[in-house]
Amino acid sequence: MNKNDRRYYGNFGGQYVSESLMQALEELEAAFEGAMQDASFLEECSYYLKQYVGRETPLYYAQHLSEAYGAKIYLKREDLNHTGAHKINNVIGQILLAKRMGKKKVIAETGAGQHGVATATGAALFGMECTVYMGAEDMERQKLNVLRMELLGAKVEKVTSGSNTLKDATNEAIRTWAKTAEDTFYVIGSALGPYPYPKMVKEFQSIISKEAKRQLMEAEGRLPDVVMACVGGGSNSIGMFAEFIEEPSVKLIGVEAAGLGIETGKHASAMALGQVGILHGMKSYLLQDEEGNVQLAHSISAGLDYPGVGPEHAYLRDTGRVEYVSIMDVEAMDALQELCRLEGIIPAIESSHALAYAKKQAQKMGKDEIMVICLSGRGDKDVHTVAAYLEGKGYRN
Amino acid sequence: MQNRIEATLQILKEKKEKAFITYMTAGLPDMEGCKALIRAQEEAGTDLLELGIPFSDPVADGPVIQSASYKSIQQGTSLNKVFRLMKEIRQEGVQVPIIFMMYYNTVFHHGVEKFVEDCAECGVDGLIIPDLPLEEQNEIRKALAQEGENAPLLIQLVSPVSAGRIPKILDGARGFVYCVSGMGVTGQSGNFHREIISYLSDVKAQSKIPVMMGFGIRNAHDVAPMKDIIDGAIVGSHFINLMEENHYAPEAAKAYCQRFKSELNAL
Repeated sequence: MNKNDRRYYGNFGGQYVSESLMQALEELEAAFEGAMQDASFLEECSYYLKQYVGRETPLYYAQHLSEAYGAKIYLKREDLNHTGAHKINNVIGQILLAKRMGKKKVIAETGAGQHGVATATGAALFGMECTVYMGAEDMERQKLNVLRMELLGAKVEKVTSGSNTLKDATNEAIRTWAKTAEDTFYVIGSALGPYPYPKMVKEFQSIISKEAKRQLMEAEGRLPDVVMACVGGGSNSIGMFAEFIEEPSVKLIGVEAAGLGIETGKHASAMALGQVGILHGMKSYLLQDEEGNVQLAHSISAGLDYPGVGPEHAYLRDTGRVEYVSIMDVEAMDALQELCRLEGIIPAIESSHALAYAKKQAQKMGKDEIMVICLSGRGDKDVHTVAAYLEGKGYRN
Repeated sequence: MQNRIEATLQILKEKKEKAFITYMTAGLPDMEGCKALIRAQEEAGTDLLELGIPFSDPVADGPVIQSASYKSIQQGTSLNKVFRLMKEIRQEGVQVPIIFMMYYNTVFHHGVEKFVEDCAECGVDGLIIPDLPLEEQNEIRKALAQEGENAPLLIQLVSPVSAGRIPKILDGARGFVYCVSGMGVTGQSGNFHREIISYLSDVKAQSKIPVMMGFGIRNAHDVAPMKDIIDGAIVGSHFINLMEENHYAPEAAKAYCQRFKSELNAL
């Protein structure tokens, strides 16, 4: 029904925000489209991505993992970016856009703290005032990232409404933006929110697959058979898929968090049950109860602990172009430890969900078939969670 | 039958009176108490009532309405229970126009067509859906048109930065237009937008229907500066605070509404 509407991906997306924000979204879209046509803006982006973030990131052939799992596995090393994850790719783009629009203040929401740290970093770099909204529960879980943001000069605003996690931090950021849109830029960290955010985040994250495609061509002279990434809101995955969506021979797999198991109700697989809803300015798959109230997500990984998913993923699921699967906490934690020992890389718990499914997927593949996995972030931020998990104390959530 | 909102506003216009509108969260203090508050307000002369359907993620609301929504959900308030309440008070003869203020997911989850049918059947007169801007209204407009004359009116909102959007928002708008007094969320007392007078005048000049102002209003004197522009005032967060402080006593609601209404028309 929304086929000709640029704001929609099939039936998903849109702009479900208050009237106060419609003008701001219109201005944002115009500024973004203008910037993407402006060679000097694109050059500035590339400059900072290379000299500041440290791109390009390696596409690393993981020999031991390949031997252990039984397929040729390449890891796209987004964990090697400045600040430790793919989040900075998008932040550089959005902050340069904010600067171009003459905004001096930025706000952001954060769950695990990676997007908050990336935004605080970008704000410090470009001399902007930065406020990050973070759930009280997440501030406790990710103390180290709170300190990092404060060190970088950002103000971390504790959110105590609702469930005290990412969903509520996002609500608070939207409320604040509605009040301050006249002089403030809202840096959304995932491929979600009202249009044009999903498009913009995809654009800025698609550098992941642009590089990976070229790097694999150099290493193997061909396209991969499988490309895989974890999905919370869906930013690293949409960036990893972007250049391969139009390559029908490449199988794309998105891995959601199954938490303690879909059947327990304690999970973060927005797409598993196939219920559509409206939250945070978009129509997409959404975890909700029988009254249409949004349900709490659960995942050991704070970065996947979100009840919704970006609208383009919802569309890619419905068209069948991407297969979405899910991985439980315990499987992700096993995969995390396996990568540490086999390759000497400590992955983020988020990325470990993709690694865990890679093990299953490899069993269906020949040993010369190629799989590229997005290693979206490093696991340094997660060591406390891992320690608590290994001591059998369970974890906070 | 003429829509109750339009009928009421017509009478006010003839009497040259301003409308006094309140917002309260449905299901507080409980379903019976909520009914008593509605009846008390009708007796006090409140012209239109907004009934908030609680939602888990009320992004257009400030802390007061957020916490009221949360409390109401915890007590088990659901859309179907509020429909039942509506049906009962209409059967008991309550005539005051009632507007549901709610978020779009609650409508969507119920099924848009079914929702509109249930509104018509239970005597809901209007809808305010703050996260459903003009561009996203096609789906519900279709359902409202299908339902015909018993369908509730979709009340349009404008903000201080709507500017060039105002004409298309007003095109075909019915009932009244809801002008939010500032940027942001409900319940920021006294913080009206710096351009409030010129903004309200702009809307008033372009609108064929009454213009109401809401967000951050506590008493009639708050709207004294714009008394010659607006056709009525909406009180939400402050009213909920007052109810909380008075343990939802209907007499307290009645006294506040009577006073506001008379002061508003004496301005």
